[in-house]
Formats: sequence, structure tokens, C-alpha cells
Amino acid sequence: MTLASPTASGPARPVARRWSFTRPTEVTRILPLFILVVLCFDVPLLVALGWSVRDPKGPDPTLRHYIDFTTSPIYLPVVWRTIELAAIVTGFCAILGYPLALWITRLSAGRQLVAIGLVIIPFWISILVRTYAWIVILGNAGVVNRTLKELGLIEKSIPFLYNELGVAIGMVNVLLPFMVLPIYAAMLRVDSRLLHVAATLGASSFSIFWRVFFPITLPALSATMALVFILSLGFYITPAILGGGKVPLIANMMDMFINRLPRWELASAVAMTLLLVTLLLYAGYQWLRSRTPA
Amino acid sequence: MKHNFLLASMALAATAALGISNASAVDPSKTLLINDAGGQWVEAVAKCIDEPFFQKTGIKVTHEVPGGIAKLLAMVESGKITGALFDGETGEIEQAKAKGLLKKIDWAKINPEPMFDEAKQEYAMGTSFYSTIMAWRSDAKAPGNFVEFFDTVNFPGKRALPNYPGFILPFAALGDGVPVDQLFPLDLDRAFKTLDRIKDDTIWWEAGAQAPQLLQDNEAQYAISWSGRVAGKEGVTISFNQGMLDMSWFMMPKGADPAEMEAAWLWLHEHTVKANQACVAQYISYPGPSPELDPLLPQDRLGEFPTYSENKKVQWLTDAKWWFDNVDTVQKRWEEYKLQQ
Repeated sequence: MTLASPTASGPARPVARRWSFTRPTEVTRILPLFILVVLCFDVPLLVALGWSVRDPKGPDPTLRHYIDFTTSPIYLPVVWRTIELAAIVTGFCAILGYPLALWITRLSAGRQLVAIGLVIIPFWISILVRTYAWIVILGNAGVVNRTLKELGLIEKSIPFLYNELGVAIGMVNVLLPFMVLPIYAAMLRVDSRLLHVAATLGASSFSIFWRVFFPITLPALSATMALVFILSLGFYITPAILGGGKVPLIANMMDMFINRLPRWELASAVAMTLLLVTLLLYAGYQWLRSRTPA
Repeated sequence: MKHNFLLASMALAATAALGISNASAVDPSKTLLINDAGGQWVEAVAKCIDEPFFQKTGIKVTHEVPGGIAKLLAMVESGKITGALFDGETGEIEQAKAKGLLKKIDWAKINPEPMFDEAKQEYAMGTSFYSTIMAWRSDAKAPGNFVEFFDTVNFPGKRALPNYPGFILPFAALGDGVPVDQLFPLDLDRAFKTLDRIKDDTIWWEAGAQAPQLLQDNEAQYAISWSGRVAGKEGVTISFNQGMLDMSWFMMPKGADPAEMEAAWLWLHEHTVKANQACVAQYISYPGPSPELDPLLPQDRLGEFPTYSENKKVQWLTDAKWWFDNVDTVQKRWEEYKLQQ
């Protein structure tokens, strides 16, 4: 990490030439993407910001929609439910993902490849398919309920789905790779000499983990948890299908405002609030990441 | 911007110079753009109506997804309307009308062949009928009406219900014992009472394909579904009794290109030809507005068609005016119910 230090020894690099050649090409290379992002993302975002302060009855901007949203006894519980569910999902992802990542790092190189492959494969499968697959497994007439019934363990199907539990299961399933991969990468970066030193000094394998390994990987874990939390705030398909339409989250509420009721102003106000919250969380994520040892 | 303005003023000047005041003096354009929801029905229309229409008139029809009033509104706001026809649901006609977006349907120019009266409105033409009906797994106990349908004690099982107020609230009111002929004005209290009562047994569906899927997977035993989705599905029984008969419409926006409007009238006429409707019905069971269609429909599947005389007479039509007048109340109640559950 000592790039381009002016006191670096060795022959002087042709700095000036590199500038004149690479700089324009770099700009032209990112230009299409830049224009695309500005036109397709930033401009609509600004339009949405405009919508959120638009008064349908007058020309002056208004904060009415923000006030409506934050003071309503109906909308806020949906926001809390979303946050609560996001926290639960993030917690379960961490509880499942951390040991899984740890286990993978202990495998032989070939097996690690297979294990990581198994974690990544769901990424390639449409989220819709994965969501429906849970109906086949956990539904009222799903594999699990049918098996339990045939074994005589239950009489009535256990309601795994069409409630918050179903939504949480579906979300954990989708988000687990997002948890495992960064933690796995961080664990690989842990200097194994530190662990050897601890062992040489007589630490039990339990204290090596708790007092050396875990603290080193903790920043990566918390950064990844922040990331998963952010991602889980925007789920739409999973609550719509696995919640049986009975567990509306923020995204479903916005869908209602946009597609069902023509209340785009309110939807924009919700979107802007969500964006702000996400940006704050993202700042926290970046801060946590900056503390992760490279 | 400047360029467009220049063009527009030239066009305006030309129009004024030619003294065109009567739209009928305009010849139909050679292309016709239609904004609609796409899907199976439009694919069938492309084969059964657009193709022969092109052979006959040389007018090339293209369809653009989506249609509906939301898109029309966006176009009106941006000041540029492309397409002479927009599709829409029953409720959208009143909304679009109230906002003054629509041109009256020129029935003289369409010169329709015989069609059901309810499909012939001042501002819209109904081009395909569909029903919202009850369906159930063939191995479940058959309900005879909506009181029985919503009776989870004597007819145990989960209910897959449409997550759309216009498609569920009237049935829920019937479920509380409201007679069909007194359905409107809709008693919202009684409707929500039914929904509250069966809450634990409800699975709400968003997409039309979910209802038959939930039944076939045995996730739900009973469903309220759009007829075309459940008709003829294996292991599923349907009944049109107390079903809601409805139409998909075409509306013409003000400010569309006059030549394209002329082409649109000609195209709409093709929709009233019963042979064309029978052709479309081969592909999808959403029939057109001809009252003489029954003999031309596939006879072994007659029972699947919403306008089949035996089906049509046991159904009711929704009251678009009531929905429009009460939109705020319904939305508020629905939002409260859905978000607070």
C-alpha cells in the first residue's frame, strides 16, 4: 500500500506520459456508464424527490406527505415491522452464516471450492423460483408437513408459511450468501501465525477462537450484518408470496401506494425516507468496513 | 424542444390553412399503436384481428405494454400522447372520464355488429369479457354460493383470495349474506366482517396465475379467481354462480393523432365481428361482446366461457360508478385492513 510514493527508489516512472494517455481513455470508458446511471437512476431519483414534496392541489412544495407518513398510525407499524423483521433476519443470517464460513475455511482447498459453489449456486436461480420452492417444502401440503403427518406426529399442518415466520425463512434463504461470502473472505485473511502464537502460549482452542480469531473477524461480521440489514429492508416478492399477503413490509406498502392507489406523492415520501435511512446505514457499513483489517 | 415546437406550429398552420375542422376528413393512418397489458389475449388478437385487418386495410397494428390510465396520465403530463387506444379496467373509465382525458366513442364510425349493451359505453368499448368466480379442488366439498364459500366450519380449508379490493369486497359481502340484487351500494362493514372472520384461513394472491397454482399444490382448497386462469385446470372445479362478470375496455385519449383515431375506429369494428371473436376464443377463454357467439365457441368447453348464456345469467355486473364515487373510503378501509393485519 505504498503506491506512487515520491521518495520511492528506482527509475523515475513516465508519469506525464501515462497521464496524457490513460486519462482521456478512462474518462471515455466510464462515460457511457456514467450517462446511463445519471439518466436512468439519478434523474428519476430526483423526480421522485420532487414528487415527494409536490402538493397535488397547489404549486408550492409541501412537507405534507412526510408528515402524513410519519404521523399515521397505519404506516409506521409497517416500518417497525420491516425493521424488526430485518433485524431478526440479519441475526439468523449471522448465526447460520458465521459458523458456515468458518467451517468452509477449515476444509481442504478442493472442498472449499465445492462448498463455496454450493453457497453461490442459489445466486443464479431466480428469486421467484426459490421463493416458490419454499411452498413445496414448507407449505400446508408441503414435504415437511406431509412427512410429519404420515409419521403421525401432527394432525393439522404446521403453519410455517403465510405469516412472519415464512417471510423470515424466505429472506434468510435469499440473504445467506451475502453473509457467508464476505465473512469467508475476511476469515481467509486472518494471519494464521497469530493463532499459532496463541497456541504456543498455551491458549485452549476455545480461547484462541474467542480471544483472537473472533475479535479479528468481528469488524467484517458487523459490516456484513449492516449490509444484510440494508438489503432486507427492500424485500418485496418474499413477503408477497411467503407472507400470503398478510405480512406487508415497506416495499409492499409502496407497491400499494403506486400501483393500487394513485398516491405517488406519499410513495415518494416513503421512498425518500427509506433512502435516507439506507444511506445512514450505508455510512455505518463503510465505517465498519474501514475498521476491517485489509 | 425548439424543433418540436417548430414542427407543431407548422402542422398547426397547415391544418388551419387546409381548413380541417371535421375529423372525418382525415384518412386513416397506415399504422396504429395500441397501449395495452399484452399477454395471451393480445397475442390471440394479433393473430385473429391484426393480421386479417392488415390484409384488408393495409393498416399495421402494433401493441405497446402497458396500457391503462396510469400510462395515459403520464403521457398527458409529458404532453405527448402516442397511441390512439388504451386498454383499461372498468374502474378506470370513470377515473379517466372525470379527469377529462377521454374522447367519446364514435359508435357511428365503428358501426358495430350486434353486441351486448353493457359493452357499449359512451367513453369505452368492452372487447373481452372475463369473470371472477369461485373455484375449488375437486376433492373438496363443493360450495353452492358465497355464503358457503366463506363458511370455513362446514367447508374447511384455506381460501386463496385476490389481493384487490374490487375483486374481493363484493364477494365478502355476499359471504355475509347480502343478496346479489342488493350488493350495491356495497356494505363495507359486512364485507370486512367476513374477511376478519376467515383471516386465519386466507392466503392472498397477487398474480392471476397464483390462484390455480395454490389449488393444484393443495396449499388452498378454495379460491376466488379470474375465470380464464382456473377454467379447464386439472383437479379444479369452477362455478360461475354469483360470479362477477366484467369486461376489459378500450378507451381513446383526447389529443391522439386524428388519422390514427380513424384507423382505431376501423380496428374496433373488427372486434365486433363474431368470427373474429370465435378465433380469439380458441386461444383464451375471454370472449368478445357478441351475443351470438355461443354456437361458434368450442362446444366441449362452453362452460368455461363467461358469456355462455347459462353462465352469463347467474352472474352480476359490478357498479363502476359506486366504486368511483367511493374510491377514497374504500382505499382508506382497504389500506387500514391490509396494513394492520
